[in-house]
Amino acid sequence: MTHSTRRGVLGAAVALALGCTGLAAPAAAEDYPDGPITMLVGYAAGGQTDLVARATAKVMSEQLGVPINVVNKPGAGGAVAARELQKAKPDGYTVLFHANTVVNTAPFIMERVDFKPDDFEYAGMITAYQVGLVTQKGAPYDTLEEFVAWAKQNPGFSYGSLSPASRMYMEQIAKKEGLDVNIVPLKGGGDMINAILGHQVVLALSGGIHNKYPDEMKMVTALTSFRHPSDPDVLTIEENGYALGMDSRTTLILPKGTPRPVLEKLAGALKAAETDEGFKKIVAAANIPIMYLDVDQSAKEMADSYAKNKGIMESVGIVAK
Amino acid sequence: MEHLITGFQDVLTPGILVWVAVGVTLGYVLGALPGLGKATGVAVAIPLTLYLEPVAALGMLIGIAKGSAAGSAVSAILLNTPGEPSSAPTALDGYPLARQGKAQKALKMGLFASVIGDFVSTMILIGLAAPLASYALLIGPVELCAILLFSLTFVGGLSGGSLTKGLIAAAFGVFFATVGLEPETFIPRMTFGLLELEDGIALVPMAIGMLAVAEMTLQAGNMRALDVEAARISEGARREDRVVLASEWRRCVPVIARGTLIGSAVGILPGLGASVGSFLSYGATRRASATPEKYGTGMIEGVAAAESADNAVVPSSLVPLFALGIPGSVIAAILIAAFILHGLTPGPLMFKQQPRLVADVYASMICASLIMLVIGYTGQRIFAQVIKVPLRLIIPGVLLLCSVGAYLETGSVFSIYVMLFFALIGFFARKLDFSFVTFLIGFVIGPSLELTFRQSIQILDHDVANLPGHPIAIVFVFLTIATAVWTARSNGRLAAARARRTTKPCISKREGR
Amino acid sequence: MRRANVVSGVVLGLLSLLMLFAVIPAQIDPGPDGIVSPRLVPSMTMILVAALSVLLVVNNMRAPEPGAPEASLPFTRAELAALLKIGAVFALALGLYFLVSPLAAGAGLVVGALLALGERRPVVIVLMPAVLLLALWLLFYKVLGTAIV
Repeated sequence: MTHSTRRGVLGAAVALALGCTGLAAPAAAEDYPDGPITMLVGYAAGGQTDLVARATAKVMSEQLGVPINVVNKPGAGGAVAARELQKAKPDGYTVLFHANTVVNTAPFIMERVDFKPDDFEYAGMITAYQVGLVTQKGAPYDTLEEFVAWAKQNPGFSYGSLSPASRMYMEQIAKKEGLDVNIVPLKGGGDMINAILGHQVVLALSGGIHNKYPDEMKMVTALTSFRHPSDPDVLTIEENGYALGMDSRTTLILPKGTPRPVLEKLAGALKAAETDEGFKKIVAAANIPIMYLDVDQSAKEMADSYAKNKGIMESVGIVAK
Repeated sequence: MEHLITGFQDVLTPGILVWVAVGVTLGYVLGALPGLGKATGVAVAIPLTLYLEPVAALGMLIGIAKGSAAGSAVSAILLNTPGEPSSAPTALDGYPLARQGKAQKALKMGLFASVIGDFVSTMILIGLAAPLASYALLIGPVELCAILLFSLTFVGGLSGGSLTKGLIAAAFGVFFATVGLEPETFIPRMTFGLLELEDGIALVPMAIGMLAVAEMTLQAGNMRALDVEAARISEGARREDRVVLASEWRRCVPVIARGTLIGSAVGILPGLGASVGSFLSYGATRRASATPEKYGTGMIEGVAAAESADNAVVPSSLVPLFALGIPGSVIAAILIAAFILHGLTPGPLMFKQQPRLVADVYASMICASLIMLVIGYTGQRIFAQVIKVPLRLIIPGVLLLCSVGAYLETGSVFSIYVMLFFALIGFFARKLDFSFVTFLIGFVIGPSLELTFRQSIQILDHDVANLPGHPIAIVFVFLTIATAVWTARSNGRLAAARARRTTKPCISKREGR
Repeated sequence: MRRANVVSGVVLGLLSLLMLFAVIPAQIDPGPDGIVSPRLVPSMTMILVAALSVLLVVNNMRAPEPGAPEASLPFTRAELAALLKIGAVFALALGLYFLVSPLAAGAGLVVGALLALGERRPVVIVLMPAVLLLALWLLFYKVLGTAIV
């Protein structure tokens, strides 16, 4: 496994010198990659996404034969990293590994984030986030229907929300069923776990971490459009009668204009993660399902999910602030 | 516990010990260099550890975390530029001590306090992780809100001379902390349209700017006088200036015990952070002292209090991580990734599924504490010579390191702007005698206080009558009121005592009060 | 210090009012009903600062204690000069960062600071940045294996 040592500035100086002397040809797809690749991650080191990114970088680095440097550029849920990506050259040496929510959800919530699927190229998606509504293992309800029945008996219950989007789910359910809910703001996954384990809230939205606590937490409904591989018996929000399923997946995002052959090569290297033992072990430890999509499939997924989420957000009245 | 013996057998092999030692040394050096801190070190070292086997890798990373908590005392004491906000209280008394020629004494006490705090806290982690963690779960937002209010009041009293100016500083601290996205509605507050500000002002670049860069600028302005002073102090000429005397040990033991306890408690509770721990400990020791007005002029107890708490936070912040899989601190959050990468899934299942690996990690943590003592002690004499180097050589180096440290925080130049902005504020704050201590506390506690307040409103169903359902919270509310009353009275006494004491204006007196 | 306190009090008071009436309303939307307003905490802190500033000014307007040496400014000229010099050095370094490269910025920072502080020996001016940058490079790129820029 190649070590992610980059000659950095000295390397850049050399490249600049070579470029100036005209010895370096523009990166042709057959030569790609012939140098280190920078993989940006839009969250700080240590999170779920960062973990998958580093594991992915390791696999892809072996496949492509060049070092891949993971650089964290946290901020605004990934928007800072995405902006950074837009400024990079579309030659395949700068990629962003991030949840696709930065393009298909964030623009509807935050005014200053104004990406559209067309702003980027996509070189594949690898894992999905198993987002769902979770509660304590011992709670007296197992499905959303049972929860609603319980909630009607217990007005004034607390729901933990990580963001306006997670708020939205409960607001919709409460509106439809006439529930009296107190929405408790939570900051991050750790807070959410604390709140559930400490019985501070009776329901909360989880981005997938709940799978690490099979003895303490259970999922009441999946919030994605597909049933979770970790919980195939739990209904999705759509099966429960709300057209609110929003999918999020980790995606290789590249600057607009990156040549197709480069994208294909990256997607090919990404596919290797599907079968790589080390990668599978790591994501299995975190209960993250591998759902690979190639270049065309991921572009389609981006466009579809963007349109779908736009429809959902507008119909529930969420306005970007 | 039998596991622990096997753990030691696994760990006390040269292969693993070397890596733990490397981690501790690296952490110590990173901590000692102003500007670079533990979070940076750990995060940046994770990729390196991909090559090592799990125990060595985890041992090294934890070693970095521990080492840097101890090392950050060095720059605080020698240059008055704490490497991290949590070492700011160490500088309050450590720097005056260094200016009095007692640098080695201060460094030693800082090291001993750090090691003891770290060791005891590690023992607590090992022995009590599971039960403590379940107690920690009892602390919900309502209780946390009350605890934070108490901490704010408790430390607020540290503003010393001018309570008015101290409160102004604290208010500004809270104000700056609100910059960013409001956590409940995601409405941006004072971000001026800048995406980089949406996550708020990062603590590290801000602290580096306000504490280190501002200090360096001030020292640049007083270079001649400071260099003359330094030349006059024949560093460590008398033995009693170089070692910790038995009498000082006797005074400091209760201080260290208190600091360790406070640091451990703060570490276990989610969301408080190491800075709160060291400030609380310093404040507690000052209040308990017979001569509180002497703090800030070179009381060795101050150094002991701050450093023991500062280091005790690190292992105890791993309690929620090991027992429940919840990261209770920035370091713990970063370590989660490392743990998973190396096959250890933190959480309750960890003990059942991988008892041997857990025992190995515990053993390496204990070894790290001891190694830290050795490394620190060896480095003392070398580091203490820094005082003799003329300032005009030190300042440029420190400025570079600060810039690198700030940059590493977000990987962009923006944090350098943040650093410079707060350096300017820090410069004026010091000269105009506004306490950066209370500013930092306001900044660190403010957001948590606001968030837990909002959470409490929801949990209590908008009804104060529900408060009795949270007895722990009520206890802390009473403590808050008691502290406020006590502070008001003792500040009056403090001001009177200071007016009686004749002090000559001294450049080395840095505490902004 | 008293005069300085009065001045700081006035400045901070005005600043807090500016924040309260101009910046906060402009920068923060009022929240939806039923939730604690995002403007609440920032506004509260600025009100507190305004009130305390008034207190500060009032307390310091009274005559100074007899016999206390009244310096004209709490700042010495050397300190202000240092502020400007360090500021200029950082400006230079940032300029180099954007126009040339991070490496040049780092070198510029060290060299500029050395010169601004009065170092004139060419050996030191060349050697120090070289050693520092080399050491950083070794530490991050080699030992830790992570790129900084």
